[in-house]
Order: sequence, then structure tokens, then C-alpha cells
Amino acid sequence: MDPKLTEVAQMFARFKAAYSRNDLDACVTLLSQLKVHLTKFPSLPPLFQQTPNAVEELKLARDIYEHAVVLSVKLEDQDAFERDFCQLKPYYMDACGIIPPSPEEYPILGLNLLRLLVQNRIAEFHTELELLPVKALEHPCIKHAVELEQSFMEGAYNRVLSARQAVPHETYVYFMDLLAKTVRDEIAGCSEKGYDSLSISDAKQMLMFSSDQELHQYITEEHPEWEIKNGCVFFQKAKESQPCKEIPSLQLINQTLSYARELERIV
Amino acid sequence: MAAAAVSVSSAGSLLAMLQEPAPELKLHALASLNSLVHAFWPEISTSVIDIESLYEDGESDQRQLAALLASKVFFYLADFKSALTYALGAGSLFDVSDDSDYTQTLLAKALDEYATIRSMASGATEEEKTIDPRLEAIVERMLDKCISDGKYQQAMGMAVECRRLDKLEVAISQCDNMHGALSYCINLSHQYVSHREYRCEILHCLAKIYLDSSDPDFLSICQCLMFLNEPDTVATILNGLLIASEDDALFAYQIAFDLVENENQAFLLDVRNHLDALRASASTDLDSAQASSNDQTVNAAAEPSGDVQMRDDATMPSSPLTVDPNDSVQADRLTKIKGILSGETSIQLTLQFLYSHNRSDLLILKTIKQAVETRNSVCHSATICSNAIMHAGTTVDTFLRENLEWLGRATNWAKFSATAGLGVIHRGHLQQGRALMAPYLPPDGAVGSASPYSEGGALYALGLIHANHGEGIKQFLRESLRNTSNEVVQHGACLGLGLAALGTADEEICEDIKNVLYTDSAVAGEAAGIGMGLLLVGTASEKATEMLAYAHDTQHEKIIRGLALGIALTVYGREEEADTLIEQMTRDQDPILRYGGMYALALAYRGTANNKAIHQLLHFAVSDVSDDVRRTAVLALGFVLYNEPEQTPKIVSLLSESYNPHVRYGAALAVGISCAGTGSSEAISLLEPLMSDVVDFVRQGALIAMAMVMIQTNESYDSRVGTFRRQLEKIILDKHEDTMSKMGAILASGILDAGGRNVTIKLKSRSKHDKLTAVIGLAIFTQFWYWYPLTYFISLAFSPTALIGLNSDLKVPKFEFLSNAKPSLFDYPKPTTQQATATSVKLPAAILSTYAKAKSRAKKEAESKAQEKAESKVQEKAAAPSSEDASAASTSMQVDGAAEKKAPEPEPTFQILSNPARVVPAQEKFIKFLQGSRYEPVKAAPSGFILLRDLKPTEAEELVLSDAPATATTNAAPAEQGSASAAMAVDEEPQPPQPFEFTS
Repeated sequence: MDPKLTEVAQMFARFKAAYSRNDLDACVTLLSQLKVHLTKFPSLPPLFQQTPNAVEELKLARDIYEHAVVLSVKLEDQDAFERDFCQLKPYYMDACGIIPPSPEEYPILGLNLLRLLVQNRIAEFHTELELLPVKALEHPCIKHAVELEQSFMEGAYNRVLSARQAVPHETYVYFMDLLAKTVRDEIAGCSEKGYDSLSISDAKQMLMFSSDQELHQYITEEHPEWEIKNGCVFFQKAKESQPCKEIPSLQLINQTLSYARELERIV
Repeated sequence: MAAAAVSVSSAGSLLAMLQEPAPELKLHALASLNSLVHAFWPEISTSVIDIESLYEDGESDQRQLAALLASKVFFYLADFKSALTYALGAGSLFDVSDDSDYTQTLLAKALDEYATIRSMASGATEEEKTIDPRLEAIVERMLDKCISDGKYQQAMGMAVECRRLDKLEVAISQCDNMHGALSYCINLSHQYVSHREYRCEILHCLAKIYLDSSDPDFLSICQCLMFLNEPDTVATILNGLLIASEDDALFAYQIAFDLVENENQAFLLDVRNHLDALRASASTDLDSAQASSNDQTVNAAAEPSGDVQMRDDATMPSSPLTVDPNDSVQADRLTKIKGILSGETSIQLTLQFLYSHNRSDLLILKTIKQAVETRNSVCHSATICSNAIMHAGTTVDTFLRENLEWLGRATNWAKFSATAGLGVIHRGHLQQGRALMAPYLPPDGAVGSASPYSEGGALYALGLIHANHGEGIKQFLRESLRNTSNEVVQHGACLGLGLAALGTADEEICEDIKNVLYTDSAVAGEAAGIGMGLLLVGTASEKATEMLAYAHDTQHEKIIRGLALGIALTVYGREEEADTLIEQMTRDQDPILRYGGMYALALAYRGTANNKAIHQLLHFAVSDVSDDVRRTAVLALGFVLYNEPEQTPKIVSLLSESYNPHVRYGAALAVGISCAGTGSSEAISLLEPLMSDVVDFVRQGALIAMAMVMIQTNESYDSRVGTFRRQLEKIILDKHEDTMSKMGAILASGILDAGGRNVTIKLKSRSKHDKLTAVIGLAIFTQFWYWYPLTYFISLAFSPTALIGLNSDLKVPKFEFLSNAKPSLFDYPKPTTQQATATSVKLPAAILSTYAKAKSRAKKEAESKAQEKAESKVQEKAAAPSSEDASAASTSMQVDGAAEKKAPEPEPTFQILSNPARVVPAQEKFIKFLQGSRYEPVKAAPSGFILLRDLKPTEAEELVLSDAPATATTNAAPAEQGSASAAMAVDEEPQPPQPFEFTS
């Protein structure tokens, strides 16, 4: 076996050990070293050179990135998650002809879908979904994300919240917690459009807060333009602040005049 | 590894890697992206900001890579400016030798950028610092690479564009074919360098290289030096050649002929004076040198080649110290070259050629004369003018002589024109010009006894005869101007003086003309304005401001117009230098001055195809309020574009469909001017519809322009020439045609057969320089719109279509060469004799007067039917078989011609021409010199004056032209044979014809 590959494999073993010890700091340092080492393998994307050890190297690299993704969930670091997932993707998408599919593939894809849902990036969510083969949709992890999105779109927010109990994988919990916040933002947006005002108790119920205090805190943090007055929340201000569209008359007049002038010049 | 070709489907993973904190990863990502950018640039472009920030604050090794990547992305996004900025940031990673689209595009961009910066920097010298040293380095790397790869032309082009004369020098000196390279550069500088000052710099540089080279090409150098206006250097070179061997002297003559062709009178005068000065200093040195040192004498005698002397002024004076018997030879050569430089030799030879080869068709004129109503003075003058143009420079005035009574109908200004026409006919008759015009000239001392109109006309005619060669006549014209107070005579004298002293900027003459101008007489003042302009052509002197001031003062429109044109003439060829004056004129309130401004634009940028000038002219052509200004603006395009005649029809094609007839007229003339003598098919197609325009003066312009385009082409070259000739005849014979277009048709027939069918209109000399007289002549010719006598100025634009070979005695030896094309293609048009008579005889019958009708009714019906049938056949010009019936007698010329054409054996594909021969411009590419002939040309030019080297100098030479005029005189004017023969012995020129008087 190639000495470089052995070295990386050993380092990866140490990483796994640290991971199982839950020594996250060690994990992060080891991981960044691993990534640097991986850049030295020409068989990995984007080059895909056919070296004798290509299959092993690809498998190892995929394994490393899978762990990196899971680690980032554990660290609750969304940016790192996105980074690592992007780097992992070519192993699923482009290298599928060379190495056998990974058992972790669908859970991680599902996780990514969930993340997009949490970040309310619905367009990208659907783009990712389109890239998946039909049979992947049957997988519980994917199915979970798809159902969540459907409920989310329908406005069946209670179903979204209740789905937290039925997560298919332990890493999903972190995102399900975040989803509640996304749902609340969605509701807040809708009520702003739908109502001129709401009584505090209704608003509390609508936004799923248990106490008035939480509601007040939420409003001051997220929607300072809302007004609380006479026991009601007023959304009026937000609507007014929208700029009304004005006809650019002066510009139009200028344009028309210049056309007229040009026309006169035409021979 | 079965799955072979695996590739990534997205650059997303690499972009994600860019965000990684570890620098190694970033570097890896950049490197990978760099290799994939051609496929994934759309994806990468979304995160180009990250890449840019990496360039700005990344670590040193990342920076260059990031810059290269960013540059490529911007290249794909077609934002070349940013791409270039980042490519420069990439430093050495940006590989100049790469062959990819990316590199090529960016290099081109870099060159452009550099060239613009350089040309801007030359305007403001302080800006030099702003050039990015990295940019400069890239450009230099490219230039060096081109030179080392042997792509010299590219290197030269780039060096010229980037204003790097140092690199240009390197490129030329390393090039294996230096003469080719130098002539390429000269072409380059004339065609593509629009900035006059810079062009001079390049030419300076080229002249320097030329002179330093071991085997200099003096022909090209002298052309260069002429452009740079350095008469002393040219004189030195010529002198050097003259004192050297016989062959070199031939070469000097050739150079002199080529210089004369550019018609720069002031420059040639200077060269002549410098030659004299060189000689004078040489002879004074002779005594001192003989007294003091002997070794110098030895030195000079030991260097017969003359190459060294001419480069070194110090050794120059000692060179004529050669052996004594040579002195007479030297003196002889000096006289010869001075003769050439004065223009007299070429004028004399041209005159002989035009005289002996005159093929004008008097029957055309006769037809015109009969068709034109005598009371219509416009057409009457036009006919006289047409005759003058047709015989320009041939000295054949038979038509006038035969029609004295008819000629006498010209009165007042028509008389002025008629007399001036004689000047056109005798153009170049330098020695006897004054004797010829004597009967019409004002008598010495006495107040004019003859009509002032013929006196004025005669003075104008003298100017035309001596145009641009007025040394001998200036004094006489000045005296005539001073001795008269009649405005008509003053008018003629001013024009004459301007023509004779063209471009000399003579202070005294200028003073005289100015005095006339300040009399504030409309008629005299107009000519004075033009005359001053002619005198100061191309000098850009501050007198122009004075003229402009007076134009604002005076009340007379005529004077303003004359002055406006005069001012325009002063800025001839000055390009950017003239911008202030042009600006002043084009912004003026007075439309006449704006009109002058258009001419100023035309003449300042003549033949440069300068974009700025074209832009400005087009702007005025569509936006000025005055029709005159618009017309002139369009017309001026013709002058700006004459060095690219194929462009003009495209540029004015829209304007020729304008609703404004003045603009259409301008478009027609613009095409006529710039495509003159080319026979260009596009030009003809553009003019054809204009010939049937609804407005009479547009038809006039189109007819004249068409004639200018078709001059010296015949029917077998382009069938439309024949159609055009027939159309002209039809217009002239049509009783109901408007006077304007009739006049146009008459003038057009004159132009079409100008100079006895042996001249063409040429605005460029063979060395691609502008011919000053020709351009000026056409510019003033276009003034005939306001003042018919100015029509004669077109004769200045004529140059003979001839190849004249000369031996070392400047005589015309017997010499033959080959024209590798069918003779009929470039032949003279067939004389129109029969058809002309037939039509003129038939005409009364076609009118069908009641008398003729009654008569025909009285006759037998069958007979009249036969007659009609025959007539209709003639009218339709159908190729009827000649043996049909009794009416065969009246079959048209065409029928005869067609029958003849079918009968004889197939035409040969070549033709042997003998010296001197008519060679029309289109024929030039078919001219070949025969191998093994006795004479060998010094320069392989297909037309013009060519010096021939005699390969068998010991044998007796056979000369051709010396006796030609005598026999020709017998044919053309047998009446004067008696008096002519005596003078013929001393003078080779044709005799002056007998004077004749107007009968009324």
C-alpha cells in the first residue's frame, strides 16, 4: 500500500478515535490536516486521475468528508456544514462509477435538504431534489425532508413541529430545532401581510410563544418596526414604509424629446 | 478502472474549498479552478468577489494565482478591462506565448490599451508616468517575441501603433528584407497613422534608417524627405548621385521625375536652389582645396560610387574635384535635373504625348453644337468649356477655328470663359503661352482697347497654362494686375496669379492681391480671395486670420465666398494643425463661412480617411440649416476619402437617397471625386439612379460625377460606359430637357473624353502622395455651382495616362513593352462618326412636322412603311442584319461594329506597345517589360516617366518623339504648315496656332 495513503488512513483512525471520545477540538485540528493531505492525491476530484490506489483513496476521502459533515453538525456550524458537504458532493455525484455507494449517502443528502429548508433556501432545495434519482426518494431520510417541505409549503406548521419526534437519524435533531425558528419567521411574515393588527394573546398563540415576555423579546429582536399598543400588535408601520412607485416623468419626457430630435436628423 | 473518463460536474466543491481557513487548501482550490475555469466559469463567476478579495489580501503565492483566475473569469464574462487589470496582477503567471483565445484576446487588449495611453501621453508629456510598468513589460515581451519569431511586419505594425520608434528601428534592422520592411512602414504610416506630427516622427526615423543602410533606396528616401519637407537633404542626395556614374545619374533623374509628380512647387523650388548652392560652394572649395591639400582630392576621386559623399556633408564639397573633362558632363547633368525639377521637362514631354496621341472626336462636339439652342448662353458656354476640356493640353483648337462665328456669340462673362478655355487647351505650353494669348492680353501701357472680358479671360488662361509652374509669367501677371482698375481684368489676373504662383506664398504677390481685395469690389474680391488661397496653399499662415476678419467685415457675399474658399485652401494638408481654424469657421453664424469650413475640413484632411473628419462632415451633412453647407459637407467626404475609393459609395449610399436634393447632389459629386478615374462598379451603380433624379441639378451632378468615374474606361471594359455615352447624347439632343441637366451632360461629355482621350483624373501620385494641384483643382472646380468660369479648374486634375521611357539624354528612344491583356479592353472608344451624322440627319424626320407628314402621305404607302421600319430599327439600335433591304445605308454604327467584331479572327490576348504609349490606370497591372530588350527600366513602374538604362550604349539610338509633332501638325492643321516648318527645327514643341479674333 502507498505510504501516503497509509499515513492518511492512520491519521483518520486517530480522528475517529477522537471523535468517539467526543474530543471535538482534536477532531477539528486533525480534520484540517487531513484535508490538506487529501489535496495531494491526484485521483480525487477534480482531477480523477487513474492511479492504482484510486478506489481506496476515493473511499477514504469520501469517508473523511462524511465525518467532516457530521462533525460540523455536532459543532453546530452551518457554514462548515455547507463547505464540507459541497466538497463531499463530487464523491456521490461524479465518482459513483468508480466506488460503491456509501451507506451514509442518503442520510447526509437528507441532512443537506433539511439544512436548505431551515435556511429557507427553497429554490436550492428543489434543485438538489431534482438531482436525486427516483428511487432515492423512497429512502426514509429523503422522504422525511420532502414531507417536511410539503407541510411547510402548505402552511401545516403544526405538522412540521410534530415531525421533530420522528427523526430518522440522530444528527437531524439539531436542524429540526432550528426549523421551529424558520417556521416562526414564516408565520410572522404572513401575519404582517394578512393583518393590520393582532391582539397580544392571538399573536402569542400564532407565533407559538408560551409567554408575553418571549413575544416582546422576539419583536424587539426580529421585527422592531412592529408596534405594541393597547394590548395589540400593529403591523401598519411596516406596510407604510414600503416606497410607492412613482412615474419617472422627467426621464420619459427627456427620452421622447431626444427621439424626436433624432428622427429629425434621419436623412 | 473501467470507468475511464470521469470528470467533475460542478465547481461547487472547489468553490467551497476556497472558504476553508487553511491556506494550502485555498491554494489547491485556486489551482484546480484555474485549470477548470473554461468549463465552469458561469459557476465561478458568482464567487468572483471571493477570488478578488483573495487577490487583494491573500498571501503572496495566492495573490498571483487568484489574479489569473479572476482575469480568466472576467475574460469569459467579456469584461476585458477588468480581465486585463487582473492579468497584469498575475505577473509572470500570465503567459504571453500561450496560444489560447484568452491570451490572444488579452494581449490584443493590452496592446490597444498601451497604444491609447501612449498616444494620449504624447499629447501631454507629463502623463508619461501613468503607464503601468507591468503593461509596458508585457508589450515589450510581445514585441521582442515577434521580432525573434521573424514576424517583422507584425512587430513593425505594433511598434508604430504603440509609438515605440526604438522597437521599430530594431525590427527593421533585424529584418532580412529591409527594403520591403521600409516600404511597408512608409505605407503603414500613410495609411494608418492619422496624427500628422507622429507620422513625421516615423518618417524621420525611417529616413534615418534608410540613410544608414549600406544600400539605400533613394527613391523611397526622397519621397520620405519630401513629406518631411527637407529639400536640403534631397538636394544633397541628388547631387551625390549626379556626380557619380551614369547609372546613378539616371537614378537621380528618376527621383526628380517622381518628385515632380507630387506637384509640390515650393519644395521643388527649394531643392533647385539648394542644388545651386551646393554647386557654388563646391566650386569655391575647388580653388582652396587645390591650394591646400592633395590627399582630399585623391580621396574623392577614389570614391566614384558616391555613396559615402552623399551621406556626409563634410566630404561633399570636395567631391566634384574629379577629373576636368567630367566637369562639362556634370554641368550638363545639372541643367537636366534642374529642368526636370522645374517641371518643364515633364510638361514638355506630356504636351508632346498629348498632342501626338490626340484622339478627340470632333463629331461629338459638332453634334452638341448643333443640338444646343444658340440663344441659350448656359449651354453655349458649356459647349465651349466642353471643347476646352476635351482638348485640354493637346493644343488642338480646330473646333474653335472652324466655328468662329458661332464662338462670337459669347459675350461678357461668356467671353471671359471662352478666352480662358484657350488656356486649358494650351495647358503646359510654357514657352509660347504668352505669345498665344497676346491678341487678347491687355496692351502694354494703354488702357484696354479690347473687351475687358477677353483681357481678363486671357490673364486667367495664362494662369491655367502656367499652373504651378509660373516662374516665367508671374511678373507679367503682376504688372497686369497693377495696371488695371477694371474689376473684370482684376478678376482674371487674381485667378491667374494664384494659379501661376500656387503654394509659393510670395509676399509681394500676396500684397498685390490683398490690395485688390480691399477695394471691396464684389467681382474682383471674389477672385482675390481665391487667388490668395491659391498662393498660400498648405502654408497655414496667419494671413488666414486676416482673411477671416475681412470676410466678417465685408458686405459682399461673393467676397465672403471667395475668402472662405481661400482660407480653406491655406490649411491644405495640415490635418490637426487646422483644427482651430476649422472650429472657428464651422461655428460661424454666416452659412458661407461654415461652407468654407467644410472645404477646410475636406482639404486639411484630404485623402486621410480620418475618422474624426468624416464624423464631423456627416454631422454637418445632416444637421446644418443651410442647404449649401449640407451639400458641401457631403461633397467634402469625397476629398477626405479619395485614398480609399471603395469606401465612399458605402458611406454616402444612404445620403444619396436623402429627401434633400442638395445632399443627393453632394453625394453624387463625392463619389465622382473620390472614385475619379477608377471606373468602380459600385460607384457607377450608385450614380445610375441619380442620373434620372427628379431634380435637374442632381441630374447635372450625377452626370458630371459619372463622367469623372468613367474617364478612360471604354465600353468593352464596362458595358455601362456605352450606355452612358448614348444617354448623354440623348439628353443633349432632347429639346425638352432642363438646361441644368443639359449643361451637365455637355460638360460630362467633355470630361469623359478629356485631353484627347489621354488623361485621367488622379488625386494621388504613384508614390501614394497626394497631388496638390489636382486636389486643389477639383476643389475649386466644384465651385462652378456659383461661378461657371471656375469649371476650368478641373484641368489641373488631369494627368496623362502614359508610359514615357527616357534615355539619359531625356530623349524618347524606341522601346517596346508588353500589355498582357486584350487590346480592346483598354482601347480608345470608337469614333462616333457615322452614328452622330445619322442621328443628326434623322432628327428632323423624327419630329414629324406637318410638312413632312403631308409629303409622306403623298408618297406611296408601302414605301413610307419601309422607311419607318428602317428608322425604328435605328432608334432601337437593334442588331439587324445589314443585308435586309434598301435601308441598309442608314444602319447604325452599332450594327457595323457588331458585324465587324464577329468577322475577324479571335483577338490576341496581349499587345506590344511602343514608347511612348497610352497606359490607362486599369491596364497598369498588365504591363510587363520585355526581357532582352535594349533598354532596361531603372524602376519597374507601369506608367509615368521612366528612365531607361541603355544596355548597348555604343550603338546609335533611335529616337521616337522628336519628329512626331511635325507630322501630326500636318494632319491636324494643314493650314499652318508653311509657317510651322521653320520653327520646328529649333523647337520640338508643336507650333502655336494662329491667333483668331472673336467676330463680334
